[in-house]
Amino acid sequence: MRKVKDGPAGEALAPDPASRKAKTRRMWRRLRENHPFLIMVLPAVLVVFLFNYLPIYGVLIAFQDFVPGDQIVGPYTHWIGFGNFKRFFTDVQFWPLMKNTFLLCIYGFIIGFPLPIIIALMLNAMKGKKAGKVLQTIFNGPHFISLVVLVGMLSLFFGTDGLVNNIIVALGGKPYSFLLESKAFRPLYILSSNWQDFGWSAIIYIAALSNVDPGQHEAAILDGASRFQRVLHVDLPAIMPMISVMLIMSIGGLMGVGYEKVLLMQNSGNNDVSQIIATYVYKLGLSNRDPQQGYAAAIGLFNSIINVVLLIIANTTSKKFSENSLW
Amino acid sequence: MASLTLKDIKKVYPNTESGPKKKKKKKVDEPEKEKANLQITDEGVVAVQQFSLDIADREFIVLVGPSGCGKSTTLRMIAGLEEISSGELYIGDRLVNEVAPKDRDIAMVFQSYALYPHMTVYDNMAFSLKLKKMPKDEIDKKVREAAEILDITQYLDRKPKALSGGQRQRVAIGRAIVRSPQVLLMDEPLSNLDAKLRNQMRAEIIKLRQKINTTFIYVTHDQTEAMTLGDRIVIMKDGFIQQIGTPQEVFNHPVNLFVAGFIGTPQMNFFEGSRLVEENGRYAVEVMDKKVVLSEGQQKALKAKGQKSCPVVVGVRPVHMTLDEGGFTGKIEVSEMMGSELHLHMDVQGADVVAIIPTVGIDLEAHSIGKTVRFSFKPELMHIFDVDTGKNLL
Repeated sequence: MRKVKDGPAGEALAPDPASRKAKTRRMWRRLRENHPFLIMVLPAVLVVFLFNYLPIYGVLIAFQDFVPGDQIVGPYTHWIGFGNFKRFFTDVQFWPLMKNTFLLCIYGFIIGFPLPIIIALMLNAMKGKKAGKVLQTIFNGPHFISLVVLVGMLSLFFGTDGLVNNIIVALGGKPYSFLLESKAFRPLYILSSNWQDFGWSAIIYIAALSNVDPGQHEAAILDGASRFQRVLHVDLPAIMPMISVMLIMSIGGLMGVGYEKVLLMQNSGNNDVSQIIATYVYKLGLSNRDPQQGYAAAIGLFNSIINVVLLIIANTTSKKFSENSLW
Repeated sequence: MASLTLKDIKKVYPNTESGPKKKKKKKVDEPEKEKANLQITDEGVVAVQQFSLDIADREFIVLVGPSGCGKSTTLRMIAGLEEISSGELYIGDRLVNEVAPKDRDIAMVFQSYALYPHMTVYDNMAFSLKLKKMPKDEIDKKVREAAEILDITQYLDRKPKALSGGQRQRVAIGRAIVRSPQVLLMDEPLSNLDAKLRNQMRAEIIKLRQKINTTFIYVTHDQTEAMTLGDRIVIMKDGFIQQIGTPQEVFNHPVNLFVAGFIGTPQMNFFEGSRLVEENGRYAVEVMDKKVVLSEGQQKALKAKGQKSCPVVVGVRPVHMTLDEGGFTGKIEVSEMMGSELHLHMDVQGADVVAIIPTVGIDLEAHSIGKTVRFSFKPELMHIFDVDTGKNLL
């Protein structure tokens, strides 16, 4: 039902055609005034549309018994509704996949989220700014190592004949199959990921800290705050909005760990803990001799929906308890 | 509450350590380079030098000067936020050069307020007391007392972003006074406020001074604030003290051209190209086309110094000009009606001269733009400055 305005006597008034025309004119005027900016943003919008929104059309195969070569929408499309989802929920792999994915993500989050913040605060609090810059460069270096090289390094260091085992043996211990043991998979994965990314992730916090008013630090010095107290009461609150936003985004991606590194580290020895949703989807949909792309798409879609739900919950919670939110 | 003594304080900002600099061979007797009027030496940029000052207990001292003169640097050295390159700083009897800022028993109000944005007004004011691990009820008492003095009790639950500029400034002052410091430092606290609020807050600071009775050191570039607030004013330029005195002293007896031009609104009129003439032991000044014989007091002062004839700059304050049919001639270019006064901006033989005339009994039409007026001034109200050194000869 169309909304109508109330008149002076409370009677309903029909929308004024003149005001609608005025609105339309204003809209066109704004478009004309802002057209350089619209033209500037157009390529980015097109790219996002072509590579992010248009492919969403392909998600329809999650509701089909899809075989490569089939039409996504056509007379021979075999729709099965939520059949793929039901299949996944009753799959023996369901709970192990959920558990492995969740644990890998949550452990990574617990270590990986606060670490860049701590590093950023430490670097910012350092007296010697030159030393801080050198350290920052060192911390950022691993980010540029490719995943393949990183996993290769892990093999070199933690393999049966690797450096770590050589040290263990030299100290009188027995070598340990870090790469083959299930117990070692998660620590290796998480610690190596954090080692690679913590410096890069700290950049955004370092940038936020550079905007802190030096006067607040001076006021805190005069108030008698120690260096640590200044970090706690000046720096940390200053970057709290940034932390909130990053937290929301991290929670939103909690179940979205990528398959590449896991796949590179995966083997028969650690398969029980390294098989996650992303690698399962990859195997089902792409590397299998008999690809089940519809089923794989359904699992992937399910994973994405969980992430969206988590993102909404995190954003709503943050909005309620603080002034920070993504939207 | 404490006295302060600054002995020969110097502040040098070292040259940057970005790499070895090619040292130019310095010629013998070549003076130190002056860039933007600050001395640049081999050590670095000298921001403050030869700063010596005794501040009595509970005195209100104002450091005033143009931007870059070293007044804020001096204040920060007193606070301990800048290292003192050389010299001694005493708070009471204690040498505090190496004492940490928190142990100097001082508090500071910053130009940008520097309030903690995530804390309420109450928490901002209580923060330093919490750090000292004071009991909660004592903290509450002190905070509320300070809030009462500054009339900000109703804002204690608000955060700084919910306050206006003037309210934030009060909170900043409250945060400082809650600690009952021996010395209260204020670094241009009113410069971020609009003109009306600045006048209001100036009056508040004067009232505050009566209430808390501590030693104040106030930095400003506004000479009106300096004149109205300070027991004594320290005028600085290029890192040096130019003059120390009460507002009346610096107004009536500026020691040099800079102080004479800096203090007083509108600025003192300077008559360049004048000449001090000594004839048979009597002194007179040739100003524009007239010869003005100096007063007896001025005669004595110059005779005592054995002053010879020399080119000088004569300074007369606008408020000391009077209308005189037998005086100098000037053509009015701008006439500003200020209510009880008329500010006349005149062209006097090519020079801009300002006179402040009371409007009582005056024909405003005859003193409008384009009209010619005649004015003069009493010799004893003249200031005579040496052309080369800028120093006041009297």
